[in-house]
Amino acid sequence: MSPRTRRILFYFGAAGLVTILAWGVLGLPAYGQYQGPYGDLVSYAAVQSRHATDVVSAVNFDIRAIDTLGEEFILFTSVMGVVLLLRKRVEPKDVDEAAADVATGREKEPPSNAVRLLCLGLVGVSVLFGLYIVTHGQLTPGGGFQGGVVLATVPLLVYLAADVRVLHQIAPRKLVDAGEALAAGAFIGLGLVAVALQEPFLTNFLPLGTTGRIDSSGTIMAISIVTGIEVGGAFVVLLSSFLAETLERIPEEHRGEP
Amino acid sequence: MTASAWTPAPVALPLLAAAAVALFGHKVPRFVRTVIAFATSAFTAIVTAGLAWASLGDPIVYWFGDWAPRGQIPLGVCFVVDPIGAGLAALASVLVTAAVTFADRYFDDVQAVFHVLMLAFLGAIAGFCLTGDLFNLFVFFELMSAAAFALCGYKSREPGPLQGAINFGVTNTIGGFLVLDGLTLLYGRTGALNLAQIARTLGGAHDGLVIAAFALITCGFFVKAAVVPLHFWLPDAHAVAPTPVSVVFSGVMVECGVYAVARLYATVFAPSFAGFVPHARGLIIGAGVITALVGGVMCLAQRHLKRLLAFSTVAHVGVMVSGIGLLDARAFGGVATYVLGHGLVKSSLFLTAGMYLHRLRSVDELELRGRGGALPGALFLAGGLALAGAPPFGTFGGESEIEAAADSLGYGWLGIVFTIAAILTAGAVLRAAMRISFGWGPSDGEEDRGERSEETETRPGPGLPLAMWVPAAVLLALAFVLGTLTGLDRALRESALRFQDSSAYAARVLDGVVSAVPSAEPSADDGSSLPRSLLVVVLSCATAFAALFRERIPAGVRKLAVALLGGALRRLRALQSGHVGDYVTWLVLGVACFGALSALLLR
Amino acid sequence: MTSNDAISATLRIAVLLLVAVGATGVVCTREPLSQAVTLSFYGLLLTTMFFVFQAPDVALSQIVVGAVVSPLMILLTLSRIRRGKARETNPSQPERS
Repeated sequence: MSPRTRRILFYFGAAGLVTILAWGVLGLPAYGQYQGPYGDLVSYAAVQSRHATDVVSAVNFDIRAIDTLGEEFILFTSVMGVVLLLRKRVEPKDVDEAAADVATGREKEPPSNAVRLLCLGLVGVSVLFGLYIVTHGQLTPGGGFQGGVVLATVPLLVYLAADVRVLHQIAPRKLVDAGEALAAGAFIGLGLVAVALQEPFLTNFLPLGTTGRIDSSGTIMAISIVTGIEVGGAFVVLLSSFLAETLERIPEEHRGEP
Repeated sequence: MTASAWTPAPVALPLLAAAAVALFGHKVPRFVRTVIAFATSAFTAIVTAGLAWASLGDPIVYWFGDWAPRGQIPLGVCFVVDPIGAGLAALASVLVTAAVTFADRYFDDVQAVFHVLMLAFLGAIAGFCLTGDLFNLFVFFELMSAAAFALCGYKSREPGPLQGAINFGVTNTIGGFLVLDGLTLLYGRTGALNLAQIARTLGGAHDGLVIAAFALITCGFFVKAAVVPLHFWLPDAHAVAPTPVSVVFSGVMVECGVYAVARLYATVFAPSFAGFVPHARGLIIGAGVITALVGGVMCLAQRHLKRLLAFSTVAHVGVMVSGIGLLDARAFGGVATYVLGHGLVKSSLFLTAGMYLHRLRSVDELELRGRGGALPGALFLAGGLALAGAPPFGTFGGESEIEAAADSLGYGWLGIVFTIAAILTAGAVLRAAMRISFGWGPSDGEEDRGERSEETETRPGPGLPLAMWVPAAVLLALAFVLGTLTGLDRALRESALRFQDSSAYAARVLDGVVSAVPSAEPSADDGSSLPRSLLVVVLSCATAFAALFRERIPAGVRKLAVALLGGALRRLRALQSGHVGDYVTWLVLGVACFGALSALLLR
Repeated sequence: MTSNDAISATLRIAVLLLVAVGATGVVCTREPLSQAVTLSFYGLLLTTMFFVFQAPDVALSQIVVGAVVSPLMILLTLSRIRRGKARETNPSQPERS
């Protein structure tokens, strides 16, 4: 199909698709008028039955936990796919990233002091913030996913402040891979513990505690932590796979030179 | 443990095994990984078959997290297990078992990633088939797609094959967006994600939103099911994916799209369109008929074995979609049998093509001419006959049921369409089988060449390892045996009757009301199905001979055929361009047309 | 309408307009390198939209994924492609793996 034909046909089709979507959207309830009972019921149930104040986390990690399991495995599988497609056999010790810039042979400049200071300053804050979001999922907005992605930016900040060797030192690939797989299995494990206790899969079996305290809501915090580890690990693997694409192997005879 | 306690197992166990293989898979020898994957998928096959058996009398409803509905509004997610869904999950498990066994000898080095992805794929399909919640359906749909994209790109480092995987990824992601749009509309209207609750809350409403949601969701799943004109990704993906992966794609992944359309129509949309049944029938059957004919014609034009089989899958999906479009329980039971038979037979054919690739370094029909061995040749021939609907393979029983239902509803001409599609696809497979095994026919031709890069995916070895031909033979034998099981037809038809009943489904899921087993009237076999299928077999062989010995056909007839069909055929083949922009354009046009037709017919 | 309602309505309309303009801007940026930057900014706009519509959980995910990870992947892919092109035009460069 010539590009012009394609464009004309596509605009026709897109116009039709937009019309269908608009027609559907026009049938929705008016803005601000929530009709369904689900929202009210779930807000009530999360607080009363699970002693959790963040309803979104209660829905994610308890009421509809099987959805979250599927979503987590989507991330897991997608990162496996990225690793599969971007397979490289470069060891960090063989690489000197300062040797050449990847684009056009420019020299890579060392990061400026401003970048270094900012990144290293942010590292501590990000770790603390990420851990806070992961562990307080049942109390405040956040939870495993959000905290995990914040934690995953920490190695990235280190990479910006230093170079890829330090990244691999603080986030060794084998450890991160293992942690990610272990956390993914632990989610299912927590569900199977409930089965061993004669309850349906993924039932909340830990004591519920008092609303508003960090040790409330039973397994919601446990699942949140496990998800945080998995998501953080997945994103670190993703980023380091992409970063590895830009590395360059020093020829044998030049290795070991400053 | 009671039967219902095993419900989460088909999802939890493969996913757990996937995580375990990802954790220590690269440290253990490859044999251990294959054993883990084999054991998990075989066990899942047993569990899902057991669930199908246990749910014959009454569907199993399983609420996760102990969130059963209190006061009729469900808060949690449920799985609703019935024989049809569990049967599809069992088929998936059997195919994954066969694929994993085959891959052990087929790949010269199997990485842990392959088994992780196959197990995640299996868990996703199991969840997809068993769930009773719309968003849960979407989540497992996305997991299935993510694993499929990664598996399609396995072992392909050349830009050509990767383009096939990219086409697959882009078109199916757009399909996922369409499903999500429809889902959002339904949730916005009903405030519920549980299928039964949506059905009850919609209560037969029938305005623009419902029609738009129907069009969007159906087209989204039709992308996965490779219905024309949303089918262009399938041949490209099959040509580049390694053989064990093509097995699960054609065998069960596209059938999941068909299943989802049937499930959603029967449960959610049927009450809304109850007054428009002939129009809805016409719409879906129309899509199915076009798919069947286009798939069959393109199938004949291929010489790359995997693309040939891919187009035959498209044609058979057309038959399935027409079957569900009849909106009748008997037809639906026939489609279920057909899906089982087709999945097993098509997988066996793909494995045989993989054997050719392994031993002879090619899947090009003309290159392989006369070089085929005895065992693969026999399997290929038997598979071709099974595709033609030779009794007693599963395809025969299913197709005769669908045609009987079509006859009783006044759509008798559908039988002719099915016959043509079967003749075209089986003729192509038989032609390939005879050319490869016996060396008949010319050694050159104008069929499409297809890609040539998957020669790198396997190294040739002497002889044919057990792990390669045993799965292919076992799958064919299973299709044979399933066709002979007389109780299967009746069981599937009864569960189809329950499947179609939206209010009984809602009552069972939300109120726990167990309804009586619907009585299926015994199949009035008018004895015309056996002669008809034998006719199809004979005509398929005739088509194969005509293709092989075309110089013997009088020149006048040949010139006439070329003049009539040549131009159209050439244009059709040019449409399969490999350019992702073309595919997306056809996708968008297809959705717009389907939406416009729905708006016109279903108001 | 109380003044609170008026403020939140104005905020919502404003952020929706910004998101629409931002999305058009991302699509209309032709150069991939520039598109990574506009995509990052668009991620921030989406974060603001989710926050204004009272979905802080989604906003928290969107900040990192939309504004950091996606543009980063694009940039790294671009640098990989350019390295491949540089190697084609200048074969004397050391062998890259």
